Amino acid sequence: MSGPENKPAHQLTLRSQLPELALVPPWVDALARQHAIPEKRCFAIQLCLEEALSNIIRHGYRSEPDRTLSITFASSSEAGLSFTIEDCAPPFDPTAPEAMQEPAAPLSLLDLEPGGNGLPLLRKFSDSLRYERLANGNRLTIRFFAAPPLDRSDVASRAPTRR
Amino acid sequence: MTVTTEDLAEGITRVVMDGRLDIAGAAAVDLKMNVIAGSKSRVLLDMQKVSFLGSMGLRSIVIPAQTVHRRGGKVVIFAPAEMVESVLKASGIDTLIPIRHELADALAALQ
Repeated sequence: MSGPENKPAHQLTLRSQLPELALVPPWVDALARQHAIPEKRCFAIQLCLEEALSNIIRHGYRSEPDRTLSITFASSSEAGLSFTIEDCAPPFDPTAPEAMQEPAAPLSLLDLEPGGNGLPLLRKFSDSLRYERLANGNRLTIRFFAAPPLDRSDVASRAPTRR
Repeated sequence: MTVTTEDLAEGITRVVMDGRLDIAGAAAVDLKMNVIAGSKSRVLLDMQKVSFLGSMGLRSIVIPAQTVHRRGGKVVIFAPAEMVESVLKASGIDTLIPIRHELADALAALQ
């Protein structure tokens, strides 16, 4: 459905290889120029896409190199910006609480597990995540609403409460 | 993504990271960062020129920082750009590795 304020959708298809992720930033930059997306929002978009896509490639596809993923961009005055990722991987809902769970806050740097930040960053830097299981894959829609660009105070306030 | 080093006074090493710390950038610098961490004890991690930071890039900071700490050393992150700092804060790294925006403060934190 389109209206006078809606932009046409754009799509990017990637092979399931981590080096393919290098195609994403220039694609996002081109969308940013076309749709006047602010720089900070562009950063958040690139971050969310990197985290979501790398998760699919490394875990969903178990690094099998011959699969594909698609990203479809849409923009509307009502829904803001959306990036919908579709894959043919086994079921995985990155929005599920167990997927988003962050480890307990470490007492010191040496107690910190270096990994595990990807999906929490996806949650914190996006405005909305919606997951759907498809017949043979997954669909994740990442939304960025028409709001002021993210700033530190906004993201910091979404940091987990230390236990 | 590139990493260069500069030896400053009082045994401090300035490690300048330049570029995107995305998955590819992290892979490009991991070896050099680990070599630095294995040999330097006071590391000023200059992130002024880092234009992007993702979760794999966080590992490229945390793992070398842990190595320095295990060896009894210190690491300070210097002057990350606003959105890069947002990622550091969102991941809680800022509570474990000090961030300073003034060079004098960063150097003092390494004493």
